[in-house]
Amino acid sequence: MNKLRLATVWLDGCSGCHMSLLDIDEALMGVAMKADLVYGPLVDAQEFPKTVDVTLVEGAVSSQEDLEKIQLVRQRTKLLVALGDCAVTSNVPAMRNPVPVKKLLERIYVEGADVHPGVPSNGVPKLLKAAVPLQDVVRVDLHVPGCPPPAGTIAFVVGELLEGRMPELSGKVRFG
Amino acid sequence: MAQKVSIRIDGEYVGAKEGQTILEVARKAGKYIPALCYMEGLSAVGACRLCIVEVSGVGRLLPACTTPVQDGMSVTTNSEKLARYRRMVVDFLLSERNHYCAVCVSNGHCELQGLAQKFGITHVHYGYGYPKMPVDLSHERFVLDHNRCILCTRCVRVCAEVEGAHVWDTASRGIRTMLTGELNRPWGAIRSCTGCGKCVQVCPTGAMAEKGWAVEEMTKRSDSISWLATQRGGRE
Amino acid sequence: MQIHDIGNFTAVRAAGMAKLLPYKPRIAVGMGTCGTGNGAEGVYHAFAEAIDRRGLDVQLTRTGCFGFCAREPLVNVWIPGRPLVIMHQFQANQVDVVLDDLAIGQITRAHALCKIEEWDHLTSQVKYGTGLPDIPSWNEIPFFKGQKKIVLRNCGLINPEDIEEYIAVGGYLSLYKVLIDGTPEAVIEQIKASKLRGRGGAGYLTGIKWEYLRKAVSDQKFIICNADEGDPGAYMNRNEIEGDPHSLLEGMMIGGYVMGATQGIIYVRAEYPLAVHRLGRAVEQAKKYGLLGENILGRGFNFDIELVEGAGAFVCGEETALIASLEGRAGRPRPRPPFPAQEGLWGKPTNINNVETWYNIPPIVSKGPAWFTETGSVKSPGTKVFSLVGKVNNTGLVEMPLGTPLKDFVYDVGEGGVNGHSVKAVQTGGPSGGCIPLDMFDTPVDYETLAQLGSIMGSGGMVVMDEDNCMVDVARYFIEFTHSESCGKCVPCRVGLDKALRLLNSFTRGAATPAALDGLDELSRMIRDTALCGLGQTAPNPVLTTMRHFRHEFEDHIRAKRCRAGVCEDLALSPCENSCPLHMNIPRFLQLYKEGRLEEAFESVIMDNPLPASTGRVCQHPCDNRCRRISIDEAVNMREVHRFIADSIFQSDKFDKMAELVCSKKLEPTGRKIAVVGAGPTGLTAAFYLALLGHEVTVYESAAEPGGMLRYALPEYRLPNSVLDREIELIRRLGIKFICNTPVGTDVTLNELDTQFNSVFISIGTWKEAWVYLAGTELRGVMPALVFLASVAKKEPLELGKKVVVIGGGNAAIDSARTAIRMGSDVQIIYRRERKDMPAIREETDAAAAEGAKFVFLAAPHRIVGDENGRVKAIEVVKTRLGEFDSSGRRRPVPTDEIQRYACDTVILAVGEAVDPDFARASGLKIKESGTVEVDRYTLETSRSKFYAGGDVITGASNVSNAMGYGKKAAKNIDQRLMGVNRFDKLFRVFEYSQHPPAQVSSCGRHTVREVDAAERIQNFEEAVAGFTAEQTMDEANRCLRCDIRESAHEMAG
Repeated sequence: MNKLRLATVWLDGCSGCHMSLLDIDEALMGVAMKADLVYGPLVDAQEFPKTVDVTLVEGAVSSQEDLEKIQLVRQRTKLLVALGDCAVTSNVPAMRNPVPVKKLLERIYVEGADVHPGVPSNGVPKLLKAAVPLQDVVRVDLHVPGCPPPAGTIAFVVGELLEGRMPELSGKVRFG
Repeated sequence: MAQKVSIRIDGEYVGAKEGQTILEVARKAGKYIPALCYMEGLSAVGACRLCIVEVSGVGRLLPACTTPVQDGMSVTTNSEKLARYRRMVVDFLLSERNHYCAVCVSNGHCELQGLAQKFGITHVHYGYGYPKMPVDLSHERFVLDHNRCILCTRCVRVCAEVEGAHVWDTASRGIRTMLTGELNRPWGAIRSCTGCGKCVQVCPTGAMAEKGWAVEEMTKRSDSISWLATQRGGRE
Repeated sequence: MQIHDIGNFTAVRAAGMAKLLPYKPRIAVGMGTCGTGNGAEGVYHAFAEAIDRRGLDVQLTRTGCFGFCAREPLVNVWIPGRPLVIMHQFQANQVDVVLDDLAIGQITRAHALCKIEEWDHLTSQVKYGTGLPDIPSWNEIPFFKGQKKIVLRNCGLINPEDIEEYIAVGGYLSLYKVLIDGTPEAVIEQIKASKLRGRGGAGYLTGIKWEYLRKAVSDQKFIICNADEGDPGAYMNRNEIEGDPHSLLEGMMIGGYVMGATQGIIYVRAEYPLAVHRLGRAVEQAKKYGLLGENILGRGFNFDIELVEGAGAFVCGEETALIASLEGRAGRPRPRPPFPAQEGLWGKPTNINNVETWYNIPPIVSKGPAWFTETGSVKSPGTKVFSLVGKVNNTGLVEMPLGTPLKDFVYDVGEGGVNGHSVKAVQTGGPSGGCIPLDMFDTPVDYETLAQLGSIMGSGGMVVMDEDNCMVDVARYFIEFTHSESCGKCVPCRVGLDKALRLLNSFTRGAATPAALDGLDELSRMIRDTALCGLGQTAPNPVLTTMRHFRHEFEDHIRAKRCRAGVCEDLALSPCENSCPLHMNIPRFLQLYKEGRLEEAFESVIMDNPLPASTGRVCQHPCDNRCRRISIDEAVNMREVHRFIADSIFQSDKFDKMAELVCSKKLEPTGRKIAVVGAGPTGLTAAFYLALLGHEVTVYESAAEPGGMLRYALPEYRLPNSVLDREIELIRRLGIKFICNTPVGTDVTLNELDTQFNSVFISIGTWKEAWVYLAGTELRGVMPALVFLASVAKKEPLELGKKVVVIGGGNAAIDSARTAIRMGSDVQIIYRRERKDMPAIREETDAAAAEGAKFVFLAAPHRIVGDENGRVKAIEVVKTRLGEFDSSGRRRPVPTDEIQRYACDTVILAVGEAVDPDFARASGLKIKESGTVEVDRYTLETSRSKFYAGGDVITGASNVSNAMGYGKKAAKNIDQRLMGVNRFDKLFRVFEYSQHPPAQVSSCGRHTVREVDAAERIQNFEEAVAGFTAEQTMDEANRCLRCDIRESAHEMAG
């Protein structure tokens, strides 16, 4: 039997969702039996593979780089899961949204700088006007809110997906 | 002495008194009808529309909180349509302003968050607007964060009807509607405020909170306010 | 003078009558807000000054508006014994002429609109006089014909600031009658029997409502008049009050007496200063005359009226919000029950009626319910005042019996669309109402029927919309309105409308996905079903009705990212580009030419339009109608500029270089093979782009040479073959294979193409004459226009007579006529409508006339008469008259009994063309009822996979640029389907050119082309129209205003 190709992606988030994923402890073994982790911050692959069955995405879409990445991920993924509040609602990364980007950068890198004031421009991706949830820019097949989603929830979600079922989350998850 | 009437709620016969609302009767009979703006002991305003029910023979959906019972009335408290519309109300409220549950003092105790979970809402459907909202930290003991305000006006009513101070009201119109205190003063400068904190206790979200609590730490005691209000003779 | 008995009453009446019909001439200037806004104030003062200067014995007064807003200012001029004459569009400088005439007992005819000999004020009659037979009676002119003035019975005739004039026409008699001998119960019975329904919009029975309050037990009751009219485009109540404030007071006094209220309140819009002023005066006068206050008319009835100016919130039209506002609280509605009749103002039982409802009370009391129910429909008796505004010729306030079909409003009263544009919808009921499409104009306007269509009667706003209105934008506009007027109390209205507005904004910006349409639908239903008050519950109506009746416009915005009306600016570069079926970047080639960059201008043109020289000559130029320069003088002559640019290259040694440039843009070969069936303009265009995209293209053509209609239907004098040949030469150089003399369907089958090609595009023309039932078509000398034109083009022998009759009004008819003239025949063109309705290009029709073609309009062929040899000898036509408007916005020709006969020996039928039905049947493609091939509107895919179709074969006979537009669209879609991605944009490079509008608007007028003198040009088939000179071209390029330039685009990324 072919193993399921699983990927995880870390956009603008705190990595808490990935931590929660690791927190599923012994259930990881079960996952490893049924799936290959083909991409993610936890593995070596440099480029997002051409075809992936399930991708779990943590984090909001905040920069041009995030945007391009998630679009590529969407193209190459059969089932895209928004994992955690940042991916689902844009959460904490969105707290900067009411402030115009220019003002924001100046406040932090110029007004707030002790040394070398100046907005960084080289080698850093451009911020989007707003940090947005995945569903604002790509089609999302499943939303798993939570900050982070508890390990049990993640284990349930991944378990169901590995069995080829769409997890029924009604009442099982909450924001925050 | 109010006339006794009999109504049916989801097919079950329930006794009631004339002048009672559908919501009062239903709750007494142990029937669940969700509501956010309604609070026992305060006047009902029919604003959140979560308590809409179907009444047979009436084409429109009616708010249970303000619709008086009539003898022989047959009420349906849940249906596919009602559930869908209620989900939309919660969906609207989640995305109207900026609710970051993860960093909210009321995380875990918030009525809006609770309803979203109860209704199985995993994401919003009509996009976020990210409006810029003020946070009023001027009061020494309380904080008012407009990002989390859902304009249920419980604070307005508890202050006017129970405390008798009428500090709060709503200003402006439509999507720009804002809770405002006295003559649009910062809370700390409001002279008519007695500092009783009832508004904080009835607030269903983290919009009004006591200072000094961290994430998830602020629990509210709206039940005791309801008790107080009803003990004092009910609504005005 | 206090009136307390019938004696005083009669005396006041006589005094008023002496003002209304004095012994001397009376001039009354219509000075409602509408008249004043059009200069009535100046007219009044000019009259006052001139009368004073001349020492004339003339009575000058002010009156309200008589309703015909499009013709303001209106002035009534009356000479004792003669009819009252209403003069329109009256300006101060006409005053002296009118007074000169008046001095000699004459009425100036120049501005006389209509006359009134006798007027029925319902509460009394006024006889003005007789005579002036040459001036039409008021109800003979279209705008007033069909109107019945019950509510507006006094408006525009009496002086609204003089209670005596009101009493003179029977005012306060109904009140008197009620107080003398009517019991409240009897009056309520009357109102109930009249079935009068609330005119504020909801249509609740007034009598029942009154009965509630009558029966309510309380120490105090209130009655309220809701005069907080706030719908955009609606101003009925304003004009009613401004023209006749006392009727409102009288209605309320009767109501107060009947319902047992002693206090009436008029909640009037503060934005209506004149109405507030006149109401204030009316209340003051009524008090002075003892009609308000204590012991009214000596009958022991106490009643007072107070004016309250609204605070400017639309939601205060909702009764509970209005009451909150009156109590000094924020105008926010509350749930009912309790209803105002139980707990209203200050907790007391209260009745609220709309202004117009109150106006109906005195006439009903005076004339009885039976009289009232004679007018209108069974369930909705009486009349309703509507403000008819928007894209209609006659705008104004019209009072029509309820149940009148909508089309009567638009076409009879309104006299149809402005500038001959076709009306497409009427919006009724303001922001709470909906849009009713043209095909439902038979709808009777009453409460129930409008509600069934998802609209409402509302307070009577009626906005007419034509093809220049974008229905998505209309929906967006109304949601924006209710969004900003929502009180913010309930969640569905406050937040739901915000979400709806965001969605609609994304539509008009072209940023929406197809799923958004369902989202908007669900959102709208939810708001409608759950909002707290009427504002929220009805706010989605404009969205729901436009989505129901104009779904294709929403889909255009979402799927094609196009706004046909050109309203949504984000979806178009400029109005000209938006109207161009090929979406040519017109401002760009104008600017490039202006900058002296001819070759780049050509590159811009040819990449947008592969047949620029041909279209430069024969295009229908829809861009002309959209050019914003029209607001200054005339449209920029864009067509002739690109003709000049094209000719400059095609007819010069730069041709090879430019052809090479175009060929160099070809993308890498894809290895995909595509067949194009039909080498007309559609096929050539598709082939051009498909070849550029790197595909291997084979074009099949049944005729000997490519070009289709361009070669075989368009006469040589319009489009020389040499011009077309150059263009086709360039297309050939892209490596396209042409297989001519090969009809697909017979020589090659579609199945064969299916096996040989990756995709097939069908773009055959409409070469079959539409079937026409006409006796005598079998006679010798009768021929279809296209057969005739093709024979001439192919130089085939032809038997053309000396006297030719052409039937039809399209381009084929004119082309046939002009061709026949060049062959030495006398030509008569017979067309069933009027000249302005002819679909042919106007310049062509003019040229035909100049060349001696004679026109017979309003005539349809009846039969063709043959001689004993079976040859045509005459044609009989039946004269038509214009009837109702049809879906094209033109009046339908209706045959009369009159038959005329024209001797002739040839009849050319140019009454429309269709797809060859044999081909259609043989193709195996799904065919529509109209005989055209069915395709997906957006992708042009047919029912058969791999097969696409475009041009006349899907639309029926159209025109060159439309056909080419389909070719371009097909190429884009075929490529995208074959290659999986959108590669079309890769063909187009970016041009750098000035992005500044001209510092100074060119003062140069529009150039027209030089035509060869008619007498000379009919001698041969030489090109009849010479193009522009370089100077003229530069002038035109300079005339462009550059509407394509926007303020710097919004920053997308930080």
